[in-house]
Amino acid sequence: MENYLQLKDISLSYHTKEGEVLALCGINFNVEKNEFVSIVGPSGCGKTTILSLIAGLLKSTKGEVLLDGEKISKDTNIGYMFQRDNLFPWRTIYKNVCIGLEIKHKKKDQQSLQHVEDLLKKYGLYEFRNSYPSQLSGGMRQRAALIRTLCLKPKILLLDEPFSALDYQTKLSVCDDVHSIITKEKQTAILVTHDISEAISVSDRVIVLSKRPAKVKSIQTIDLKNIESPLKRRESPKFSKYFDLIYRELGSEK
Amino acid sequence: MKNKKKIINYSKEHQKYLKKIKVDKFTTLISQVLLLVAIVGLWELLTHLKVLDAFFLSSPSRMISELIDLFKSGTLFYHIGITLYETLIGFAIATILGTLIAIILWWSRKLRKILEPYIVILNALPKIALGPVIIIWVGAGTSAIITMCILICVVITTLSMLSAFLECDEDKIALLRSMGANKFQILIKLVIPNALTEFVSVLKINVGMSWVGTIMGEYLVSKAGLGYLIVYGGQVFQLDLVMASTLVLCILACIMYLFVGILEKKVRKHKE
Ligand SMILES: Nc1ncnc2c1ncn2[C@@H]1O[C@H](COP(=O)(O)OP(=O)(O)O)[C@@H](O)[C@H]1O
Ligand SMILES: [Mg+2]
Repeated sequence: MENYLQLKDISLSYHTKEGEVLALCGINFNVEKNEFVSIVGPSGCGKTTILSLIAGLLKSTKGEVLLDGEKISKDTNIGYMFQRDNLFPWRTIYKNVCIGLEIKHKKKDQQSLQHVEDLLKKYGLYEFRNSYPSQLSGGMRQRAALIRTLCLKPKILLLDEPFSALDYQTKLSVCDDVHSIITKEKQTAILVTHDISEAISVSDRVIVLSKRPAKVKSIQTIDLKNIESPLKRRESPKFSKYFDLIYRELGSEK
Repeated sequence: MKNKKKIINYSKEHQKYLKKIKVDKFTTLISQVLLLVAIVGLWELLTHLKVLDAFFLSSPSRMISELIDLFKSGTLFYHIGITLYETLIGFAIATILGTLIAIILWWSRKLRKILEPYIVILNALPKIALGPVIIIWVGAGTSAIITMCILICVVITTLSMLSAFLECDEDKIALLRSMGANKFQILIKLVIPNALTEFVSVLKINVGMSWVGTIMGEYLVSKAGLGYLIVYGGQVFQLDLVMASTLVLCILACIMYLFVGILEKKVRKHKE
């Protein structure tokens, strides 16, 4: 489906005591269904702001966000993943994963519970379901966080620098892991990052933002779909070509 | 001998290290006990030899015989009961009330801003100054003592719990909001469980504070209780009664503290 998510001429200002900060200025882009899109831009340019808008946590000053033809609201079913896993340390993995069902009063819905169980089994967390987050590795925890959002069957998944808290080695493998889960579950996803390689290795398209106030500088289609794993994509000769291109786009900012 | 089996797997150095820790712990404990014995012994000896005047200082043996007398006359547990009752009621009401107020203040940012200066002043005010007012308002009885106890504990409970609620991670709140959670769900699922460790610390503080409050209240108005015994003993110059009551107070506070300690262990288990 074309234009599954549409951002139409979005502007947003933050109001603080010190003054008005224009964070986004006339943002336009679309995301297709099942597409994996990354947004890169210098830190502080407004990437998190864009995701908060799509999640319905913020309201734009101008313009509108449409998902599946409907205007975004607080009740739109959206998955959000953050820099840290944000698992609740006092809950077991199973109870952490089920928190969304509890919020949506679906804790007794047999179908949803079955879905949770299937996901846990499929992605190797079933045997850890009664462990506490502190007993799991960083990668496992991020996987649990992903399942927590997936079990709500979100219309779109938003990832806000989900790997930046991990060390380099872990980051590469967790990134691979998360990418393969998202692809298998046929999720539409938007990843925000300041890591160009990461963006190229996972996405179908990369949106480059200017520094604040953020405007869309360019949109780069990444043609690496024939290679499945992000890790392998990094070895392709095309990869470094894309890297140079985007690096230069970002660099001309300074 | 489960422990011994475990040690066998460790290297020599590690065994040495473990042993050192054990020895260290043991010597500390021994020193603590010895210190107590020395103080009690010296106290007894010096008063017995009339180097110190037992009339002003009492002595361990006189304290014990005072306690036995109180026990025989059947009043010991009566006084303990009254003070314990006042303390526990005050402790419970103050903890619950303070936490409820903190929840309300967390909920309404506006109310929080409006009440902030008042809470600060209330916290700085020496509560004992309100004694006469309390007596006039609630009457000179048990309720005045409990009110004093509540007053002393409730402000600090409110302040500590509120800051624990407000410390809650913004990302975690955003996570729940992105799932469509309302404010009440955020409170129940995240903010309150997240503040549980702080709640136990508050309990610990309140154990001490509620005894302070009750004894202070008893100084003001009581006709019975450990605080009453202490004041009465002081007035009639019976230091044995004063010291014996203080000793009982120490023991009771320790027991209450131990209970909270057990609770704390349970709560701390799954904190990062
Ligand atoms: N709640 C807020 N109030 C005021 N200014 C904000 C707020 N959140 C973000 N900003 C500002 O908006 C800009 C964009 O922030 P953000 O979207 O978090 O950037 P990024 O995620 O790209 O690092 C930053 O310059 C930041 O200072
Ligand atoms: Mg950000």
